[in-house]
Amino acid sequence: MSDELPERDADKALAGEYALGLLSPDEALAFEARLASDPDLRALYADWVEDLARLADRIDPVAPPPQAFGAIAARLFGQQQQTRRGAGKGMGWLTALFGGLAATALVVGLIIGVGLMPRGPEYPKDPAYVAELVAEDRSLILFAAYDAGNGTLFVERERGDPAQGRDLELWLVAGSDAPVSLGVLPQDRATVIDVPDALRSRLDGAALAVSDEPPGGSPTGAPTGAVLAVGQITNT
Amino acid sequence: MGDRRAFASLYDATSAKLFGICLRVLKDRTEAEDVLQDIYIKIWRNAGQYRVNGLSPMTWLITIARNAAIDRLRRRRALSGGGDEIDAQADPAPGPEALAMAASDSARLNGCLAELEETHAQAVRGAYLDGDTYADLAARFDVPLNTMRTWLRRSLLKLRECLAR
Repeated sequence: MSDELPERDADKALAGEYALGLLSPDEALAFEARLASDPDLRALYADWVEDLARLADRIDPVAPPPQAFGAIAARLFGQQQQTRRGAGKGMGWLTALFGGLAATALVVGLIIGVGLMPRGPEYPKDPAYVAELVAEDRSLILFAAYDAGNGTLFVERERGDPAQGRDLELWLVAGSDAPVSLGVLPQDRATVIDVPDALRSRLDGAALAVSDEPPGGSPTGAPTGAVLAVGQITNT
Repeated sequence: MGDRRAFASLYDATSAKLFGICLRVLKDRTEAEDVLQDIYIKIWRNAGQYRVNGLSPMTWLITIARNAAIDRLRRRRALSGGGDEIDAQADPAPGPEALAMAASDSARLNGCLAELEETHAQAVRGAYLDGDTYADLAARFDVPLNTMRTWLRRSLLKLRECLAR
């Protein structure tokens, strides 16, 4: 860096560069590492994000095509989701009272603040590893994220369901070793699995797979049914 | 199911704005639709983190949308060998709804951008809305990359001081 700014000023500029996406990947990673432990830096960054977002004010809203929500719901909650919501209709009186923008901001605040607080398994804040397990025909897609602090693996089924009367079982496939079971996935879409101590160090560079198994999982300790989806574990 | 209903309301209330941002950044409807899906999936997954990040709700959503669209744009540019022409064209004039929204906060930012040299203000807008990198900006303003960076860092500081006033 050819310019020499006092440290605090340098951080102000750096936070702005990060918010604009101007840092190189290495610089961005270093910044994120500092961000995690430095509340002052987080405040600088939040100021920039808040201010720069105003650049989007001039952009006109454009209604997305009607099928867009269905596609999102299908990816999140499964294909059978029949969603027609009209929940937004309840906003009518708010809109009348405050005008569109204020009503939107208020509703968004309420929804995010109250309605969307997850009560189920939570996606880890800062996963060390992630993996996307995808079936060849994309009929089954799972997403996994490993929380190194807790030694837990968050697993969410984005698309597809176990076959009727069958369970999905998750496997760790490290190198040429035999697959090791990480457990049977519940029928819920998302779950958190405790990864046994002995397996934690083997996640790096390994793959995850799910197989089709009888209820309760493989009776033999090795996959007995078809391997439905596989995904490489990657560092975040 | 309450979560899903809330999510649907959130989508109803915000998707047009976020889709507008995707279209503005990507200038391609198919890609914008694709990225919009990714954005709402990210929002659903990260809703639990929202409360700790200290951002206002709309800012949080706009930032997720902008970043996702820029990521996609940069991937497209990388795939096309960087041959993507830089869109230096001015933004289309904002419509009435956007103008109504661009009230006081936006005026403050624009006022502060106006205090910068014209080209530096353009560089900030270009980085935010067109995903310009330092290399793109250096090429556009025909200066060495390090010079571009020194300029922009100083301008960001000025901008920060003005915004803090």
